[in-house]
Amino acid sequence: MGLIRYFDVYRIQLKNNFVREAVYRTNFLTAVTVDLIWMGIEISLFSVLYANTQTLAGWTREQVYFFLGIFFASDALFTILFQRNFWSFSDLVNKGELDILLTKPIHPLFLALTRSMNLTAVFNVVLGFVISYRYAGVAGFAGGWHWLEWAAWLIFGLYAALQMRFFSSIWIFWTDRSWALSRLYYQFFAFATKPDTIYPKAIRYLILTALPFAFIGSVPARALLHGLDSREYLGAAFVLLAFTVVNSILWSWGLRRYQSASS
Amino acid sequence: MKLQWRLAALKNGFQDATAYRLEFLFEILGSALVPAAIQCVLWYALFDLGGATQVAGMTYMDFVHYTLVSLLFTQVRGGDHDFELAEMIRSGQLSNYLLRPVGVVEFVYIRGVAPRLFIAGLCLTIGVILAQFFGFSGTRMIGAMFLALMGNIIHYQIGATLATTAFLWEESYSLLMVKNMVVNLLSGELIPLNLFPSSLQWIWKSTPFYLYVFGPTQYALGRWSHTEFLIQIGISFLWILFGWAIIRLTWGAGMKRYVSLGG
Repeated sequence: MGLIRYFDVYRIQLKNNFVREAVYRTNFLTAVTVDLIWMGIEISLFSVLYANTQTLAGWTREQVYFFLGIFFASDALFTILFQRNFWSFSDLVNKGELDILLTKPIHPLFLALTRSMNLTAVFNVVLGFVISYRYAGVAGFAGGWHWLEWAAWLIFGLYAALQMRFFSSIWIFWTDRSWALSRLYYQFFAFATKPDTIYPKAIRYLILTALPFAFIGSVPARALLHGLDSREYLGAAFVLLAFTVVNSILWSWGLRRYQSASS
Repeated sequence: MKLQWRLAALKNGFQDATAYRLEFLFEILGSALVPAAIQCVLWYALFDLGGATQVAGMTYMDFVHYTLVSLLFTQVRGGDHDFELAEMIRSGQLSNYLLRPVGVVEFVYIRGVAPRLFIAGLCLTIGVILAQFFGFSGTRMIGAMFLALMGNIIHYQIGATLATTAFLWEESYSLLMVKNMVVNLLSGELIPLNLFPSSLQWIWKSTPFYLYVFGPTQYALGRWSHTEFLIQIGISFLWILFGWAIIRLTWGAGMKRYVSLGG
């Protein structure tokens, strides 16, 4: 019964967001253009590098493009579902907008993270898939039913991004402004745009543990192309579980500290 | 009077940027260290993991030097004050500035450039000190910083011109974002531009973006002769002149369409 109520609320939110996107059609087109250019630039960067070398840390050009496809799709999924909510996350606390969410008969965090959607990025999920599909064969991806695995890893990447972004935003309960941390998150996000094996050991360890940006695209791509060993599967599960627990605790502590608009 | 308001705007801009010192520091560190780390990682992957000895005629140390020195100029090139102009047009806040005896485009630039000038001073000091240790010329470093500051003006002029599309469509955010993404790649901030295959070199040579980071870095590292440097200074002046003319044209046309509904 509870789950159905959440589903209904989500359906209504989706409808509202769709109506809003339909009203601002120019915005839709320009947002799609911006994303296309961003993708083009990421691909161009690797194209320039591969014009000078055959492989990069064991990754061929096609394997990197396959990785980029997963990364673009995973990031676009995050943009659709959560990104706008995190941009307005500080307002919940600073302006006291959390008050109204706390009075609803539904988990306030569910509302806080799902109210706004950015449906313009749907096109990018499709494009990410197309890029992956285009280079899958040459990159060495088995294909067939493994595309279901591709989708599962996409959700894994999405969950990792959600946990990290939440961790970078939750400190608003203790600080005046969260802008700097958000900006820092996006600076570090750049680590997600390259395959993790190109990084030296220390950075690689960091992006697989404390700042698991490699989970967004790189680990899924490696898992799909070469498979991971059991230690890596366990490590990834442990890191995501740890983030989930820590974030839940921080949310509870934050709520205790929250003093409406003046907090 | 003319100098007085400019100095006041400069002071105001600096105070505004540094009001939250920790954020200011985070921004500088984030925007400097992460891109540099990623560049170094790419060189590590190309040379250490890939076993290359030279790429595009450059050794591993050439690339590391490029990354470290370009870092000084990357900090000077930016500034998001063109976004501020676009927002003023969109929201109608522009009306407040039209009543004042100052040029709005210049006022916003001076306010926005204040923290960049501080950073430029800091970077120049670091650059001149490092030059002594690494055998570069301190005088070249000063010349290179001058070129980077000219690049900063050109960057703003292009942004201010693009911001006028807000007079037509209300929104120019996406266009400015696209500009910044293209600048990211074509300024030499991500990779040295001589990595581009020779058939594609015309792309960056036909824009002024290489004058922001790549040009100053080449001169500081002694890879451009003094004659080449003077030619590039001349080209920068021409771009600034062109920028000035195009701003007058676009803002003149835009103001005729302006309807102050917000503010």
